[in-house]
Amino acid sequence: MVISPIHYIFVPLVAAFAIPLLSKINKELPRIIPGIVMFYNIIISFVLMQEVNEVGYISEVIAGWEAPWGINLVITPFSGFLVSLISVLGFLIWLYGFRFKKVIDAGELRSYNILQMMMITGAIGIIITGDIFNMFVFLEIVAITAISLTSFYRGRDGAEAGFKYLLIGGFASALILLAILILYTQVGTLNMAEIAERMHTVPQGIKATILLLFIVGFGIEAELFPLNGWAPDAYSQAPGPTSSAFAGIVVKAGVYGLIRIIFTLFDVDGAYDFLITAGLITMIIAEASALRQTNLKRMLAYSSIGQMGLALIAFGIGTKEAVFGAMFLLFNHAVIKSLLFMTGSILIYNSKDKTINSLSGIAKKLPFISILFAIGAFAIVGLPPFSGFWSKLYVLTAAADENMILLIAAILAVSVVEIVYYFRVVGKLYFPDKESNIEVYRPKFNAMIAMGVLGVVILVIGFYPDLITGYLHNAADILLDKASYIRFVLNADLPIQ
Amino acid sequence: MQEQFNEIFTKYHEIITIGVYGTSIALMLIGLYAVLTKKNLVKMVIGLSIVDAGIHLLFVGIGYIQNGTAPIFSPGNENAGDRMVDPVPQALVLTAIIIGFAITAVALSLIIRLYKHHNTAKIDQIKYLKW
Repeated sequence: MVISPIHYIFVPLVAAFAIPLLSKINKELPRIIPGIVMFYNIIISFVLMQEVNEVGYISEVIAGWEAPWGINLVITPFSGFLVSLISVLGFLIWLYGFRFKKVIDAGELRSYNILQMMMITGAIGIIITGDIFNMFVFLEIVAITAISLTSFYRGRDGAEAGFKYLLIGGFASALILLAILILYTQVGTLNMAEIAERMHTVPQGIKATILLLFIVGFGIEAELFPLNGWAPDAYSQAPGPTSSAFAGIVVKAGVYGLIRIIFTLFDVDGAYDFLITAGLITMIIAEASALRQTNLKRMLAYSSIGQMGLALIAFGIGTKEAVFGAMFLLFNHAVIKSLLFMTGSILIYNSKDKTINSLSGIAKKLPFISILFAIGAFAIVGLPPFSGFWSKLYVLTAAADENMILLIAAILAVSVVEIVYYFRVVGKLYFPDKESNIEVYRPKFNAMIAMGVLGVVILVIGFYPDLITGYLHNAADILLDKASYIRFVLNADLPIQ
Repeated sequence: MQEQFNEIFTKYHEIITIGVYGTSIALMLIGLYAVLTKKNLVKMVIGLSIVDAGIHLLFVGIGYIQNGTAPIFSPGNENAGDRMVDPVPQALVLTAIIIGFAITAVALSLIIRLYKHHNTAKIDQIKYLKW
């Protein structure tokens, strides 16, 4: 086999080391190479997804050490789906940010491109690894690059947002390390399949302690309340393409880590109830905070946290339908929120003080961007012709099947709040209080293509949800089938039908 | 003589075990205290490093066995399989140290930038974003 999952990690790492050297040859290379790498990621995803469809799982053994002893990379339909999504989004974000900061010096251009590429690589690594310590290492790669990108602009607030993220992130890393340590003393292995197999020997109390430490650690990347204090600042201070990557890529990796640990590793009583409660609190508080934001990017960040809360609720319900709805929601959120951050960054670039009020009437100057922002806003609140409608509908029907009436009421009430604050922005864009005569910066052709593609995806999935639902149903089935994961990884020559 | 030595060694081993665990937990608590109560950014980062150091020590501690040897099958140590210390925690701790180093480096560089903009390293005087 020519293409293997290891290329996801190997190729970007080599490229990251090569970029500083190659930038001596040509100044344009640092911004071209990440695009090539991202495009290669899409090719890998395409090949691997076809293989996963045939055999069910791919387990790649690294350096010839078989599964329980060495580190292995596992691609299941769920992780393969997320990795493909991240690869495509990574490419589009690169395309969007290609002409980003035309005039900055070569050093900054270089470090921006390397960090952005490594952040995406770390997120992919979290998803495909089959080793718990390896997951920790990739989580730290994501955290360190994300902190650096948050404070990328040398302004006053960037460093403050970055430091806030770092304090929380550093603390989380210590907790995850402690969790891995306790886990290792209990089961004597780091391979996730083997841990899952031996987990029943661990006493309930210790299990709950470990799970709590993991939840706090991964909850920080997954923006779980009250661990998400970093998110609004980081989103609003980071460069535009990076905020898109936070919403579309980093959060997905955090949620995946949380879900993989709860669904595959642990079977503690009450973990699912905990997910529902935590998700509900996260969602309600985030959406209430979004309502009173005046800064557009902060508002989008709080909305992103709220959506992740909804996804956690759906995962917490735990039935096949609910997990399917949650996966659909992850897909939609990645596409829609990336689009919203891309368009939103251009909108606030043209405003005086980044606030929603100063966007008044900008739709006349930037019609294409405003239309795309409106599509994204309608889609994320769940209006019918757009893709966001379907995922919310599936989550609600799954909750209805379980007779969780209060949960449905809460989700619907929060949706009304979402409609209020998104429509407020769209209303400002199209119905100005006063005419404004500002000179606007028009995005370049490449950014238009990236945003256009995302907009088209929202519409196409909205009209033809069947394009991905069949695949997601299969992925949800396999995520819930823990035994087949264990059997496959520890016995990699027996594909599961 | 040999038995007496073994007896002393066993007691000594217990003391070492308790000492290692106690020290690592104490380090974690000290670090946590520093992170939570100190107002100076540098002191908070030092606290974070101390928490890390405590966890690293605990990692090495759980891999320790009494009278153990290095996990290598060398001449004279062919049958040492059950006396070998567990190499996995040591490998993990090396990685963890490097990650801790990277985080500390990023933190200190951010502190320098914060100091340039605010002319202070006190956390309660840096509040342009909502803390």
